[in-house]
Amino acid sequence: MDPALEYHQLQSRRRFFQGAGLKVGGIALAQLLGQRSLAAEPTVADDIHPALPGLPHFAPKAKNLIYLHMNGAPAQQDLFDHKPQMEKFFDKELPDSIRNGQRITTMTSGQKRFPVAPSRFAFERCGQSGILMSELVPHMKGIADEIAMIKSVHTEAINHDPACTFVMTGSEVPGKPSLGSWLSYGLGSESQNLPAFVVFTPTVKNPSQALFTRMWTSGFLPSKYDGVKLRSAGDPVLYVKNPPGVRPGDRRSMLDALGQLNRKAFERFGDPETQTRIAQYEMAFRMQTSVPELTDLGQESKATLEMYGPDVQKPGSFAHSAILTRRLIERGVRVVQILHRGWDQHGNLPKEIKNQCLDVDQPTAALIRDLKERGMLKDTVVVFGGEFGRTAYCQGKLTRENYGRDHHPRNFCMWMAGGGIRGGLTHGETDDFSYNVTEKPVHLNEMNATILHCMGIDNHRFRFPFQGLQQRLTGVEDAYPIKDILL
Amino acid sequence: MMPRRFLALSILVPVLWTGGLSASVDFNRDIRPILSDYCFTCHGPDERKRKGELRLDTAAGALKGGETGDTIVAGKPDDSELIHRLFSTDPDEIMPLPKTHKKLSKGQKELIRQWIVEGARYEEPWTYVPPRRHPVPPVEGNDWSENWIDNFILTRLQRENLTPSPDTDPVTLVRRLHFDLIGLPPTPGEVNQFVKRWKEDPSACLEATTDELLASPHFGERMAMYWLDLVRYADTCGYHGDQDHSISPYRDYVIDAFNDNLPFDRFTREQLAGDLLPNPTVDQKIATGYNRLLQTSHEGGVQAKEYLAIYFADRVRNLSNVWMGATVGCGQCHDHKYDPYTSRDFYALGSFFADVDESQHFKVGSNSLPTRRPPEIEVHTKRERQRIAELRKLLKTARFADEAARKQVETELAALEKARRKTMITVAIKPRTIRILPRGNWLDDSGPVVEPAFPAFLARNNPPPASARLTRLDLANWLTDPDAGTGGLTARVMVNRFWYLVFGSGISKRLEDFGGQGEAPVHPELLDNLAVEFYESGWNVKHMMKLLVTSRTYRQGSLTSVVLRERDPYNRLLARQSRYRLPAETIRDNALAISGLLRTDYGGASAKPYQPAGYYRHLNFPARKYAHHADDRQWRRGLYVHWQRQFLHPMLRAFDAPTREECTAERPRSNTPIAAMTLLNDPSFVEAARVFAERILKEGGKDDKARLEFAYREALSRLPDGKEREIMTRLFQAAGKEFKANPAAARELVSTGQAPVPGNLDAIEHATWTTVARAILNLSETYTRN
Repeated sequence: MDPALEYHQLQSRRRFFQGAGLKVGGIALAQLLGQRSLAAEPTVADDIHPALPGLPHFAPKAKNLIYLHMNGAPAQQDLFDHKPQMEKFFDKELPDSIRNGQRITTMTSGQKRFPVAPSRFAFERCGQSGILMSELVPHMKGIADEIAMIKSVHTEAINHDPACTFVMTGSEVPGKPSLGSWLSYGLGSESQNLPAFVVFTPTVKNPSQALFTRMWTSGFLPSKYDGVKLRSAGDPVLYVKNPPGVRPGDRRSMLDALGQLNRKAFERFGDPETQTRIAQYEMAFRMQTSVPELTDLGQESKATLEMYGPDVQKPGSFAHSAILTRRLIERGVRVVQILHRGWDQHGNLPKEIKNQCLDVDQPTAALIRDLKERGMLKDTVVVFGGEFGRTAYCQGKLTRENYGRDHHPRNFCMWMAGGGIRGGLTHGETDDFSYNVTEKPVHLNEMNATILHCMGIDNHRFRFPFQGLQQRLTGVEDAYPIKDILL
Repeated sequence: MMPRRFLALSILVPVLWTGGLSASVDFNRDIRPILSDYCFTCHGPDERKRKGELRLDTAAGALKGGETGDTIVAGKPDDSELIHRLFSTDPDEIMPLPKTHKKLSKGQKELIRQWIVEGARYEEPWTYVPPRRHPVPPVEGNDWSENWIDNFILTRLQRENLTPSPDTDPVTLVRRLHFDLIGLPPTPGEVNQFVKRWKEDPSACLEATTDELLASPHFGERMAMYWLDLVRYADTCGYHGDQDHSISPYRDYVIDAFNDNLPFDRFTREQLAGDLLPNPTVDQKIATGYNRLLQTSHEGGVQAKEYLAIYFADRVRNLSNVWMGATVGCGQCHDHKYDPYTSRDFYALGSFFADVDESQHFKVGSNSLPTRRPPEIEVHTKRERQRIAELRKLLKTARFADEAARKQVETELAALEKARRKTMITVAIKPRTIRILPRGNWLDDSGPVVEPAFPAFLARNNPPPASARLTRLDLANWLTDPDAGTGGLTARVMVNRFWYLVFGSGISKRLEDFGGQGEAPVHPELLDNLAVEFYESGWNVKHMMKLLVTSRTYRQGSLTSVVLRERDPYNRLLARQSRYRLPAETIRDNALAISGLLRTDYGGASAKPYQPAGYYRHLNFPARKYAHHADDRQWRRGLYVHWQRQFLHPMLRAFDAPTREECTAERPRSNTPIAAMTLLNDPSFVEAARVFAERILKEGGKDDKARLEFAYREALSRLPDGKEREIMTRLFQAAGKEFKANPAAARELVSTGQAPVPGNLDAIEHATWTTVARAILNLSETYTRN
């Protein structure tokens, strides 16, 4: 007899039968042990990924979040913050009274002049509320009445890395969980075959900036709250595909054998982790089936596909990511984040921002419409914006046709729509140069507080202990949701 | 009065379970955590935020009371304003204020009342009281104890009316020892030998095996795995472009240090201040790479001053987490809310590093790979130098059989001599001026200048010599001197972690935070004695590890029971051993070892295993292409895998390896579908399975029964039982059928990875056994330390 086996047989009997029924994951062990048949149905926990007890704190307006992150920082003056007054100052020095000695990056701090660069794009009032939008985003104009445009967002960071880290984790210091991880941790998932938090990083013509995993990883929370990247090339989810030569049938018999063997281990050791593992292997199996189904657009109507624009069938495009986003939300995924790179226009801005908008404008508007048509917009909060804004003054050579803009954390535009958000309004104001907030400043912490609020979470009560502090997404200071934009 | 007291105590039971069922309330164990969590934010150390002139973190403050009168009247809860406020239902009176969203439970309130009834005694926070040796409790009729650790554990268990578990079986034990001490599974031969010796004399067997494992070079690798998490070692700089930087010799230094059993105080001195030692050796210089492990930004447009402030804070956070079990980082903006560290302490501690030359990269730190972060030197590590000396001697003295033999030695020597690696080191320059930054704002130069100093409240009894500016060496000495510094406290922080490595959780739960937000130890006297033992043994790490694993407590079986699950669900009292999933690197090493693919080369540049194409697609400055190693380096241990902070290898990530942006003292042990898919489908594991299958076929015997037994013995050190044989046979038959119908699929599967495909095996049979091998590598038991 094998010594290890002998010991465990002896010990399991002695210890397990001391009591009537050891409760493990809701299943009495005695009951399991009574089931002599090892071919019994796998005992998947009722809910693989439940919400924290006590969450949501109050009735949520939205169940899901879609976060469209324009990485690199779009120029607010050219998209949403119309400043006709800048026209008179073309190529003139930005007035000292506006610049106010505020810090600028070392990319332009050496410049001799800070000439004002008015936007060369035409603006118009859109929708019933008259939100201002430029000609760069013709499709978004059509959803103006769904949107709460916030013109007075500000942050502290002036470089990409800390700013991106802040916009997604509420801290410039790396190591904190991303917004999606917080939500996945707090609210759990409604999907039994897809992750709670999915991330897209579409390809762009001119990537220019880098992305950081900390924008979707879990920081000090367990890594199971990491965002799962849905990839356009190779495996759509890392390691989702069977190894070469292994067919779906083999996969099932492998899983069956593993399930049975692991259940035997559970009988032997009574370790609930083993049971969870059985459930996770089953979930992995379901993901292997549900991911291909998810990415198959065959069932989408022609009208829907056309709405998202010409790139919709192109894996890796923003449009493709956008329609998959809707499909994920439909399937109970809690948070979807699209990180679209290429918005860092230090030079050659007019041409490049146009390309960027060609990528995102139509699919973004289509996503809002599509969600609305399916009755899902009311349950989904959608956020659109970058990590900071751009300067009123020109970086590099200024002409009527061409200019560049440096980083500007003091004010920028973001918009929100959907569950819990009052559409068709503009919140906050900036000065004539879009250089300083003049009304209703909104810190990124307040943006995040607003998102959490829409999802039924009180940001002050939503915490996790780390490094001696009850950490919160919205920081140590109080931060309140933006009441004016809430329904 | 009696009924109320009875009621109070019956409520206490569940709250107190970690601290035992002793009748009296213990301030540090029971009360301080509540006050810290609920009161100190407004009534704690941070003077500027203190409300109502009330301070509850010190006895003097509590005694003095606040502006509303008698806060705490010892023995008289009903006269105490504190009790009135805690039990009040009036929203204007109740504490904590409703707006804090913090609410005490009924049990917590009753506990505080009970504490006041018993005299409201304050104690100094346990964490700042230097450890002292406590008498070992005698245990009556005790033939269970192997060493004094067991007396502490057993006494406590007896108090709880619990009994320790029987010893586990020798097979489980030898597996446990191997995973804990060297991070690798035992071979079947090692298992057999252990079982044989165990039957003769268990204690002698355990001791001898422990000695062997501690002498193995893999011991250093295993310990380094943990240390590298603490000090946030990585191969890339972390911020923005996350470029590679040159640091791998530091990793090898850490491995050497554990293998050579470098006393922990020296280990500390060399890392923090090796450059300040008289005539520092190469190794001591390499060790100072510690001060360079932080993340740096090479982003265009960064302001040096801002990032120097960021680096400054990073260093204080890590130093205090690693050596002090403290979270001094809070002091960047304000006095600590829970612990006595002031903002000045934060800046004074950081000032020790004001001389570290870290600003060169702002000028020369390009987007190249690796980037440049001078000062850097080119070195051979200790083992490399030893090998070079050996080879040179050999060439001088040995007589070679033929020219080819000599040539071989010459080739190795030449290759080694060329293989110097660059590594970042610490060079002291004129210290920067350090100011206290108001609210941490680096743009504000109005704060006072500070010089290096030890936290005021800890240095009370040991005023530092005022003549010269304190250095990093003074800091290292202070941290490791039990008499004239905080050596005892440091020892306690470290032994708690050693304990975690072999029991699954610390004696005090929070391995990186012994402060107010941490947790009082479950066995305070034991933790103290271990700490004293550590420094009195000359900071002997191997001695401590041996002490732990040769205890009877360590030997116990891990099976739980109904009683234990209810009484001690997290196994803090250790009436049994713990079982838990192996760490990420060990899961990899285990699979490679079982397959026979594992390469046990020691040290060297980082290794690049297979990684999904395009995984680095979003890295930029410069754009990155990952090329896995196409040679033997492919199968190196997990600890040598290239640690890309921003895009950590997905296998490591799936099993909770940290990004190493911050100090990680304890990894979570998650259990996810992504992890399942990784083990099933990552080519490293598929390749391991097919190479394992090749061994099964070649070495496992003639028939399927013998082969399955061979496979189980190799992977799990045991034989399959009847049911397992049945299940595996069914799987084997299903796979066989499938591959017979699709021979091309079989050939595909057995060609996974770059290991040579054996020409002399039938692809269908090989693929079929590969399926069995994959199942074995995916068994929960295979990657669970038991």
